[in-house]
Amino acid sequence: MSGPVDLAQFLGGFLVEADENLRLAGRNMLSVEHDLKQGLPSPRAVRDLYRSMHTIKGLAAMVGVEPIVELAHAMEAVLRDADRRGGRLPANALEGLLAALRAIEERVAALARGATVAEAPRPLLERLSDLGPLPGQPAAAARASIDLPAEIAGKLGESEWTQLAGSGDGRRAVRIDFIPSTARAAEGLTITGVRERIGALGEIVKVVPLSRPADAQTPGGLVFALLVLTAAPDEALAGAAGVRVEEVRLLRPASPVVAAEEPLEDSGASRGVVRVDVSRLDDALEKLSALVVTRFRLGRAVAELAAAGADVRALQQIVLENGRQLRDLRGAIMRARMIRAREMLERVPLLVRGLARSTSKEVVLDLDAGKAELDKAVAERVFPAIVHLVRNAVDHGAEPPAERERAGKPRAAALRVSCFERSSTQLELTIEDDGPGIDAEALARRAGREVPGNEEALLALLTVPGLTTRDAATATSGRGLGMNIVKRTIVDDLGGEIVLRTARGRGTTFVLRIPLSITIIDAFSFRCGQQPFVVPVALVEEIVEVNPTDITRAPSGPGRAELRMLDRRGAAVPLVNLESVFHLEPEAGARRKAIVVRRNGQPFAFEVDQMLGQQEVVVRPLQDPLVRRPGIVGSTDLGNGQPTLVLDLISLAHNLSRRRGDVRA
Amino acid sequence: MSLLHVLFKVAGAEYALPYSGVLLMESYTGSTRVPGAPPHVAGLMQVRGRVLPVIDLRVRFGLERQPVTPDSRVVVVQAGPRALALLADSAREVVKIDPESYRPAPEMVAESGQGFVKSVAHAGSRLVMLIDLDKVIGEERIHGS
Repeated sequence: MSGPVDLAQFLGGFLVEADENLRLAGRNMLSVEHDLKQGLPSPRAVRDLYRSMHTIKGLAAMVGVEPIVELAHAMEAVLRDADRRGGRLPANALEGLLAALRAIEERVAALARGATVAEAPRPLLERLSDLGPLPGQPAAAARASIDLPAEIAGKLGESEWTQLAGSGDGRRAVRIDFIPSTARAAEGLTITGVRERIGALGEIVKVVPLSRPADAQTPGGLVFALLVLTAAPDEALAGAAGVRVEEVRLLRPASPVVAAEEPLEDSGASRGVVRVDVSRLDDALEKLSALVVTRFRLGRAVAELAAAGADVRALQQIVLENGRQLRDLRGAIMRARMIRAREMLERVPLLVRGLARSTSKEVVLDLDAGKAELDKAVAERVFPAIVHLVRNAVDHGAEPPAERERAGKPRAAALRVSCFERSSTQLELTIEDDGPGIDAEALARRAGREVPGNEEALLALLTVPGLTTRDAATATSGRGLGMNIVKRTIVDDLGGEIVLRTARGRGTTFVLRIPLSITIIDAFSFRCGQQPFVVPVALVEEIVEVNPTDITRAPSGPGRAELRMLDRRGAAVPLVNLESVFHLEPEAGARRKAIVVRRNGQPFAFEVDQMLGQQEVVVRPLQDPLVRRPGIVGSTDLGNGQPTLVLDLISLAHNLSRRRGDVRA
Repeated sequence: MSLLHVLFKVAGAEYALPYSGVLLMESYTGSTRVPGAPPHVAGLMQVRGRVLPVIDLRVRFGLERQPVTPDSRVVVVQAGPRALALLADSAREVVKIDPESYRPAPEMVAESGQGFVKSVAHAGSRLVMLIDLDKVIGEERIHGS
């Protein structure tokens, strides 16, 4: 059985591909809407949309996610039909397609979270299938668009019209009139021969005999109108029918070739781009860390050699050079994790469109993503905050058109989202509206606080948990938890900053300054000495229960941390109390767990109070020399607004045993 | 010309710092201890998204550590590339002092204060001490520990 294993294997790939296609689809949907408003067809966007849906359908089928297959299939049908009509989408199709796109997005997101994927909503599927190609639809379209005299048109059946409408196979429809005559028959040109030769060049839909008054032009009083689907050049057709080239009349231009398998012109492969799962880059970074550790050991070995009197100058040069190369390599890997800010902001237009619609407002979005790049992990964390601010900007920062007119503003509210690289380490993102500004007094009243004196204080008030500026939570702008979450993400989690500028009647601007890259690790959190800590999962070999019966006390000198040994499956592992190493107040109650790390191949165990859990944390390096201590690599925020120390227990173990060695020496 | 100064209190005495070097003042509710850090480092605290070391001025000035009170404040200062939080018993006043009126600290004070007090000045009728920020946040002890 190739069940769950295969699914898991494909799922990552599916999510990446689906995500990309959904983004592309969102963009194309907007361009279709834009064209539709001006009454233009959108051949290219519809084609791309069709392909995106076809791809998503195929991928979803591969991982067996039926609701997505159904939705993509329904969209595909509508789009295929529109594509056949040269990219003309019925005006009433857009909303249904957008709803279906959102439904797919929701389901892809659920899949990514590992949540249950909801069934495809039936009413939506039905709505789409109502738009889809009804049996007579292409035929009707052909009737409307192909100009044929009634004497021919009247003789064509439904299936022939459908044939003439074309099916995206690159053939055009032509009409060739063959006039039989005895002279031609003498040359071997009879309707039977013409039929055969034309049949070899294309598909004859119908041959319609038309009676004409017998004259010099039509000596037999008869004309055969051949309706042909063909990709052959006019000259060949004319030759086959024994007519002049001008007599091959075009009924319908060649329908573009629809081949969903054909790669998209601007797909990654053609640009020399390789899509890589971030986890693979993280893996490379981890391997690099191992290299860095080895380099430190090398450096130490060289220092020891030097201390023993050896001439190590040449060796030292190599070690230095090696260190530089490692730094360069790290930089190169970090750059590979960068994505363009434009990619991150790609969904903003669709979001704004949806919000403007659901709030009946007119919003003109000016999106300027510039050329900045940022770490994918940062982008993933920042984007929800952007969504929230954009929501707020439309919901609170754009007045209804009539109100704007009364205030002497253009009907459509202007929303500007822009970003640029502020420095080599910081990205500045601006979300600016020209709305009514924030009513600080009303806000303060609602929060039961003093009226903030400046914009900084106003921002502080806005980010108080649970604050909302509306009596009832609107459908778009939640319940006021949002601004608090924006602050938590940007400021507390990422170490960025938020600046607010607002002027009554003129608008509100939020400026987010965010680091271009961050270090994210998978970490265990635990308590020790009444304080939480985290340790990277990658450095932990094992977490074991500490049973008093497994512990043996080793003799240790005065004033030193007590050293004990832990019996771990028959092997003696040195065990130290982390709290006594750190001189922390012990917590009352029995000890529970030991975190085992391996230093130079030897296990070493730290006893701690309690394991709290495992989570991804953003590590922020500690730069100030006052707090840069051995074994402490940085700090993180576990969500309480307090810094929590990130420990490197391996170097701590190293430090401990070196200290012991020093004392002995 | 008078310049703005931030006044803060440590163990009953008043100290002043030129406002230009002060980023902000915040109330203080505690910090995360950093094992191995010098004793005058109370720990780390998060201030507007930055994680800063907190220097307990009481301990730095050779006094007993005191429990946190509702009056406890940190004065966040910028010293070159470093930003640090100075923990004081209270800090709420901003006053104007003319730098011309700075007077060198009496020799005895300078000596017993390990050079932390650079000069003295008058804020109105009160005598305040101007601290040598670099000395106070200095890291001279770290490398020896």
